[in-house]
Amino acid sequence: MPQGFLSIVLHAHLPYVRHPEHEYSLEEKWYYEAMLECYLPLLRRMENMKNEGINFRLTFSISPTLLAMMEDNLLRDRFKRYMQNLQNLAHREEERTAGDATFAPLARLYREHFDQIAEYYHQRCGERPSRILKELQNDGFVEVITTAATHGYLPLLDIQKESAYAQVAASIEYYTDIMGEPPRGIWLPECAYNYGLEEVLEELGLQYFLTDTHGLLYAAPRPKYGVFSPIVTNNGVAVFARDAETSKQVWSAKEGYPGDFYYREFYRDIGHDLSYDYIKDYLHPPGLRSDTGIKYYRISGAEAPLDHKQPYIPEIAREKAAEHAGNFMFNREKQVEYLSEVMGRPPIIIAPYDTELFGHWWFEGPLWLDYLCRKIDKDQENIKLVTPGDYLDMGYPLQVSTPSSSSWGDKGYHEVWLNGKNDWLYPHLHRGARDMIHLATEHSDTEGVMERALTQAARELLLAQSSDWPFIMTVGTMDEYAENRAHDHLVRFRRLVEQISSGNIDVQWLEKLENVDNLYPHLDFRLFQKQETTVPVEVATIEK
Amino acid sequence: MELQVSREELNAGGSLPPFYEEDVLVLLPRDPYWLHAYWEISSATLQWLVEEWKREEWDSSVRQIRVYRHLWEKEGEIETFFDVELPPTAGNWYLEVSQPDYYYHVEFGWKKNDGKFYSLLSSNTVRTPRDRISSIIDENWTLPDWKFRRLYRRISLFNISSPELIREHPHFSRRKNQDLRNKMKGPAV
Repeated sequence: MPQGFLSIVLHAHLPYVRHPEHEYSLEEKWYYEAMLECYLPLLRRMENMKNEGINFRLTFSISPTLLAMMEDNLLRDRFKRYMQNLQNLAHREEERTAGDATFAPLARLYREHFDQIAEYYHQRCGERPSRILKELQNDGFVEVITTAATHGYLPLLDIQKESAYAQVAASIEYYTDIMGEPPRGIWLPECAYNYGLEEVLEELGLQYFLTDTHGLLYAAPRPKYGVFSPIVTNNGVAVFARDAETSKQVWSAKEGYPGDFYYREFYRDIGHDLSYDYIKDYLHPPGLRSDTGIKYYRISGAEAPLDHKQPYIPEIAREKAAEHAGNFMFNREKQVEYLSEVMGRPPIIIAPYDTELFGHWWFEGPLWLDYLCRKIDKDQENIKLVTPGDYLDMGYPLQVSTPSSSSWGDKGYHEVWLNGKNDWLYPHLHRGARDMIHLATEHSDTEGVMERALTQAARELLLAQSSDWPFIMTVGTMDEYAENRAHDHLVRFRRLVEQISSGNIDVQWLEKLENVDNLYPHLDFRLFQKQETTVPVEVATIEK
Repeated sequence: MELQVSREELNAGGSLPPFYEEDVLVLLPRDPYWLHAYWEISSATLQWLVEEWKREEWDSSVRQIRVYRHLWEKEGEIETFFDVELPPTAGNWYLEVSQPDYYYHVEFGWKKNDGKFYSLLSSNTVRTPRDRISSIIDENWTLPDWKFRRLYRRISLFNISSPELIREHPHFSRRKNQDLRNKMKGPAV
């Protein structure tokens, strides 16, 4: 019997950045990089562990926008092109560095890595990584949960409950389409909770959600076990919260593992280092100096300038990853030893991370996670990997309490998504939701072109609601892109509202929108219906 | 497979309207100490106000937000309020309330030079987040029966009606013009 439980939750999300109107876009590249460096390597490692009989259990939160990009035909084709181009570069790098004792092994490492991932994507995934996730879930290694449909920042949208409802319901619908069954839990976008959201979650059959540490710590009444046991809201939805200590060891750029001097340096990339003539055709878009993903140096030192970095030594980095996995496990063992004694029952430690940390920013991250799962399975008995759903199934009585409104953003509340740089957005989003609720209610039994226009209006509004746009506006990188995206979806939405209201739909234009902003093919605009006019209807039972 | 369609074409030459010609006041929570309010007064309402009031009354009046704090844990029961004067061109404002875990709502209106506040719009109510560990230590434990939790969905079943299941939802409310005008006839407090 373990003394305590550890739940590693990987949250994978990217906004919907599909741009068929451009041959190349930097934003689509976010997605390709994350696929190649994070999602596919992680899936591959999980499958390998499964095949080797390692007993592990992880929680994977995947946003519907990301799932939709993985499923999309155009992005699948373009991802293959991106991957092929990198494979070509890696092969050429192997030739270029041949005979160089330091760099030839590194070039080979990348070439092998890209070739393996490409083969995995084509042969094993059949270009559909969601299939692997589904298998891993069915085989009991992963619990896949969802988040809001376009990662909408719910505390600033739930002024109209219909918006929060549509965000969550559309997400459950799409998840169920892909995964074959509805999710048990939800990762609230940005871990952002506001009082009353649990009504929507309960209504949609979700059993639990996650908050940041203080969301649960500041719950009322005071949670007896702090963040080391879930609480349950008045209407019966369980709330788990991140353990700050555990997070910091992995997250923190300075104190955390990813800052180790032997780990790979992210900012030293051959896309910037090598001669323009040599590299220009391999850049994305071609000709524009940017990262390729091939990086030959290590962090080297706390203040080491980029031109003083030392070459990467994979063998030492691997040892470091193993050492850090051991250290992480040891600390959790000590933590549960102490906590279980104080609590008188097994604690659960929730360790949530952005998936994009693993492999992209922290090159050795997937390896670290691999070592960690293996060590927990083989080298100790104090802690057990579980998912939040598993913990609920154990049947511990839970304290009834209401979490505090909160998020995991800077300062812990809603300011990142509501400040002088992005507050212009909310009057448009709220007005849009009012119009959408009105139209969805008035036209509930419509069909044909009108139904298509209403569905597209729902898509445009959902896309405008992404938490990513106000976030990017605040942090100030690519802020023009974020402003344009929010603006464009709202403009398209408004034009659709005008046409729906006048009954005069420009079908050719609608078709273009449907081809570009094309996510969630089975979206039902009626999710936005005014809530008084609808009733909850029981349609399924969760057998877990 | 590049789609031959430009951003301009997709936006159909449209741009976002600066105003929607409606009367609206919305309150949002920023953190335990600050709220954010935004508002719009339609030109029709402004026109009506100008006509209703004497010119000098109008010229000497000041736009103002009145922030109401409700009694702790008692949404709807007003404990106290304070006023914030606004510049005439402002369309939104950050309001320092300094009190975590309280319900607030605001009213937007004009202060005439008789010192009285004439409220035009009333906002939704929000509750500020908490900033510390709760002092309430009542413990209530439960054993939720996860296995038999039902999945409820409205999806595709929107025509079915069952009044006993219909719930009341606190909605973002915008008062109709007539209500506003009736309200404007007398001071709020």
